[in-house]
Amino acid sequence: MTLNAHPELPEFDYIRPASLMEASQFLAEHAGEARPMLGGTDIFVRMRDGFWHEKYLVDVKHLDGSGDIRFDPVAGLTIGAGVNMNRVIASPQVQQHYPLLAEACRSVASYQLRTRATIVGNICNASPAGDTIGACLLLGGTLKVHGVTSFRQVPLPGFFLGPGSTVLQPGDIVTAIQFPPPPQPDSGMYIKLGRNQMSDLSIVGVTAYGFADRTTTSGYRFRVALASVAPVPLVVHAVEEYLAAHEISPEAFKQAGRLAQESCNPIDDVRGSARYRKAMVQRLTEKALQITWGQLQ
Amino acid sequence: MTTRSTTEKVTQPVGVSVPRIDAKEKVIGSALFADDLQFGPGLLYARIKRSVYPHALIKRLDTSKARLLPGVKAVVTGEDTPGFIGLYLQDRHIFCRERARYVGDPIAGVAAVSEEIAEQALDLIEVEYEPLPGVFDPEYGASPDAPLLHPDLDKYEVVNFIFPEANSNISNHFRIRKGDVEASWTQCTAIIERKYRIPHVQHVPIEPHVAVARANEDGKITLWGSSQSPFAQRNLIAKALGKSQSDIQVVAPYVGGGFGSKAGVSMEALAVVIAMQVKGRSVKLRLTREEEFYTTFVRQGVVAHFKMGCDREGRLLAMENKFYWDGGAYTEYGVNMTRAAGYSSSGPYFVPNVKTDSYCVYTNHPVSGPMRGFGMPEMHAGLEQCIDELAIAIGMDPVQFRKLNCIKTGDTLVTGMTMHPTGLSECLVKAADAIAWGRKDPSSAPHKRRGKGIALMWKAPAMPPNAGSSAKVALNEDGTVTVSVGGQDIGQGSFTVAAQMAAAALGVPMEWVRVATPLNTDYSPYEWQTVASRLTWSMGNAVVTAARDARQQILEMVAKAWNEDLDDLDIIDGKVISYKSEESISLKNIVVYGMSLPDDQGWIGGPVLGRGNFMPTYVTGLDPETGQGPRAVVHYTTGAQAVEVEVDMDTGKVEVLRGVAAFDVGKAINPDMVKAQMEGGFVQGVSTALFEGLQLKEGFLQNSSFVDYRIATSTDAPLSLHSIIVEVPQDDGPWGARGIGEHAMVPTIPAIANAIYDAIGIRVGSPPFSSEKVFLAMQEAGLVE
Amino acid sequence: MTTHRITLTINGEYEQVDVSSNMTLLQMLRDRLALTGTKNGCNAGECGACTVLLDGEPVNSCMVLAVECAGAQITTVEGLAHDGILDPIQQTIIEHGAVQCGFCTPGILLSARGLLNRNPNPSDEEIREALVGNLCRCTGYLRIIDAVKDAALRQQALLS
Repeated sequence: MTLNAHPELPEFDYIRPASLMEASQFLAEHAGEARPMLGGTDIFVRMRDGFWHEKYLVDVKHLDGSGDIRFDPVAGLTIGAGVNMNRVIASPQVQQHYPLLAEACRSVASYQLRTRATIVGNICNASPAGDTIGACLLLGGTLKVHGVTSFRQVPLPGFFLGPGSTVLQPGDIVTAIQFPPPPQPDSGMYIKLGRNQMSDLSIVGVTAYGFADRTTTSGYRFRVALASVAPVPLVVHAVEEYLAAHEISPEAFKQAGRLAQESCNPIDDVRGSARYRKAMVQRLTEKALQITWGQLQ
Repeated sequence: MTTRSTTEKVTQPVGVSVPRIDAKEKVIGSALFADDLQFGPGLLYARIKRSVYPHALIKRLDTSKARLLPGVKAVVTGEDTPGFIGLYLQDRHIFCRERARYVGDPIAGVAAVSEEIAEQALDLIEVEYEPLPGVFDPEYGASPDAPLLHPDLDKYEVVNFIFPEANSNISNHFRIRKGDVEASWTQCTAIIERKYRIPHVQHVPIEPHVAVARANEDGKITLWGSSQSPFAQRNLIAKALGKSQSDIQVVAPYVGGGFGSKAGVSMEALAVVIAMQVKGRSVKLRLTREEEFYTTFVRQGVVAHFKMGCDREGRLLAMENKFYWDGGAYTEYGVNMTRAAGYSSSGPYFVPNVKTDSYCVYTNHPVSGPMRGFGMPEMHAGLEQCIDELAIAIGMDPVQFRKLNCIKTGDTLVTGMTMHPTGLSECLVKAADAIAWGRKDPSSAPHKRRGKGIALMWKAPAMPPNAGSSAKVALNEDGTVTVSVGGQDIGQGSFTVAAQMAAAALGVPMEWVRVATPLNTDYSPYEWQTVASRLTWSMGNAVVTAARDARQQILEMVAKAWNEDLDDLDIIDGKVISYKSEESISLKNIVVYGMSLPDDQGWIGGPVLGRGNFMPTYVTGLDPETGQGPRAVVHYTTGAQAVEVEVDMDTGKVEVLRGVAAFDVGKAINPDMVKAQMEGGFVQGVSTALFEGLQLKEGFLQNSSFVDYRIATSTDAPLSLHSIIVEVPQDDGPWGARGIGEHAMVPTIPAIANAIYDAIGIRVGSPPFSSEKVFLAMQEAGLVE
Repeated sequence: MTTHRITLTINGEYEQVDVSSNMTLLQMLRDRLALTGTKNGCNAGECGACTVLLDGEPVNSCMVLAVECAGAQITTVEGLAHDGILDPIQQTIIEHGAVQCGFCTPGILLSARGLLNRNPNPSDEEIREALVGNLCRCTGYLRIIDAVKDAALRQQALLS
């Protein structure tokens, strides 16, 4: 509830470190008082609303390769933390090899906000409604994290602890997200149900991703992630298991929809009721899988 | 009543779609809005401490720490504002005293050298509340069980056409008793009885409220603000402070959207009171968007009960209506909506027997005020759905049913007034035609269903019977014309049509006419308010009179100078011409310097200044028991909207594919701008139909920002909008014109509801028709699993 | 709170400004440089009234810190017309009657300019999507969309 939003941002110091080491050290030394900042679109709103009171905002979007998008057929796709969503959408490599990622980015807010918003920022904000998180999870994204003592890779499953809460420690800076080269052929879609046509936060978001996989009974592997129906972005493993083990058919997708519905426990909130969300999870999961399947043919 | 206006030949540029005269300023970014005005480094900033309870006694209020904060220059509380303020009913203090009645009620105000310091000072103000049980539903509020929110209701000053009920929360009770409703039910073949709960919505002007006030040592107060109604603000604030109107000067630059929220007085008085504590310094108060949602005006909610019946032929026989308006914490303005809905409660139909009780009820909700439509969208939302249901119950096509029953020239209206000439039937037929009524087009996808719906509307300007306009027309040496008015351009284009009318009435090219801005109560001529869709008609009449007055002065001067008859002279294209002698002379110079007599024998003429005013003189009172009277209102604008929608069976999402609007505006002074009103109003209507509603829980607003209060965006606008102008002249309108601004959003909610029914066979009832509401209704009906 | 001395280019003019850390680009434009054409409608990145071009791309200036704009090129509504000649989108928005109260107009113009810079021949759908972050309460959007389409044609004509 933002009844008491301040007219302007509260006071803080803007810090622009020259290197990742300097940034991590500063953040660790000022733990609890400092926050790394990329596009700022989430931070400014929270600060103005009075929820966050950091004394220092540490701008990390210009550091060491944060501005790069690189694709390599062996290493896959690396998107620097500072790359804004519009750049991701426009990237020929993303469009060619990871169109699901571009589709997820396109659903976010507005063009103006996407000039600032980043995928890494979306992930670190750890909102269950984060539109790009489902695609990142299903595409096997891994975060590159620079900490006070070391560089490390953090796979996305297990990254989210709760709404707004992740495994990151003070001093940690995510510098990039990396995706393995995608299996071929693959396909996916993101269905975002908002209150109006575009630019809303999701009432329910369903990301579906599928690819041919000879190791499964069905010959395919389908993955589903749900937004806004759990405390964290939710990958529905039951759906993947079921569709791997059973012949692909409209009935199978119907069952997948039911499994998705059973897997989540949404709440009533200002955007929608739990009852509606559950119904939509079922129908939109079925629909997303059906369409993804159609695109694979 | 003269009929000269309708027999007046149409002179360009009246009837021409000239570009608006303020467009260029706006597109290059030089148009100044209130927050753009520069006041120099001495400007102070104000912030308001607001009640955190919907209903509470203020036990203790300690501002001492706030006053000591460096940079704080003034702190004011209700102690400083003992007077009452209000337009129709004076029921509120500028800052609350003893009691807060809604979350957001102003308790204290601070002025400081920066907004940050003012904000910090708010945290230093200590308030001790004693929460009281609250009223959050108007039917409950109207019942004897509810706590009294205004125990002194009977002591409030009130205008003589508003009827509060002492010892209750009912601040106005308007009655219609026409014919014999009870006896009529037995003659009805079909009866529909329904209840609707229409939520509060907010105007959402893209420019939030802003006011700057300065009080000088000599007692003069200046108020700059985003304002629809500088004269009303001057009047109300003066009265509340025990001052005279001329002690206060209100300056009103461009307004970034009003829709009623910037009429009357909401936050402006706060800035004035604070400024009075720091004589000689300007104090700016800006509302955040969050404050905009719940601390200025909102549109009333209403619980509306309809019962209506028709005979075997489909003729409406009786209507019984009960409206419980959720007026919010203060209903100084909202009481008149109750009345306006009451005297129009038959909808645009001939109904011989009507019983209406329209109650304005205090609740601990945000303050209700005027919003585009002034009770009509809220009322039509349910009424036009009932009409549809009744039609179908009797086996009639909804368009045919409306054709039969809609109001026609000469009909006796619900108040006993006789309907003036109206093109409502024409609007209905044209709208139905344009939407291809009766033709079912295939859906765009297998999981979507298509439907069409139609709704009619009417609305009269809701205002005191003696609301007046005035205008001045001054001529300049270069021949240009300066039109001065007191009516504001809030985007609807009133300055442009004023210029067009002046140009036409005077005989000069459009390019020669300017409108003096910003409005300034010290220099601009009086205008009651920019509301009620009244300016083109009322202010227009004043402008035309002033322009003709100027024309007369010029012609008299030239007639004397040329020794010709007035009847042989004319002004065309900025030149005075004689039909007789074929002489001509440009208006330049002579309109200021006069004309010299032959042989240097003196001068005649002088600076030309035309004046005009207009005030309707024929509106009568209504019997308090029956609501009957010879002339309840000045006139009605009528119209129709039809829509085609698609419903997504997977999600319940409703998409408005296309819309058609047809309104009888009497005379379109600027046809393109009339259509622009029809389009903008339609989309605002769609937005309120599908997305909008203040979600109040026990008085607390859950959706106080754009994140969760959704309005229509570019992707929600329909694929096409077709706007049709119908012109059945208004007898006392300039060239026959009457208003359009509000009417364009009145029938949209029920048109969409009726289209949804056509698509999926379900009555969705109360808006907003969100995907969730529609989907769950489909589930309940067994239409989907 | 720290202040920063930044230099940047605004509408082609080189500017040097001292800004506090928490000052937004919007605040700097309006309060420091009296460039009041850019408007504040919500201060939360939702309404788009504050849209400007930052290094050629539309952003909500209320969601960018002034200090982040060091070395940047900013275009505001005051910088669209050149030598008294209106940008095609300014011209068409007048002609199509797509200006009413005018408060959303500067933001719309900048979003449209950004769109036409990156996509000189946008479809209706692309225009709607590009403008979804610019709320308008007066016009109903259709005339704005037509104006952008028309501006695209004029722009093509001017360039060819």
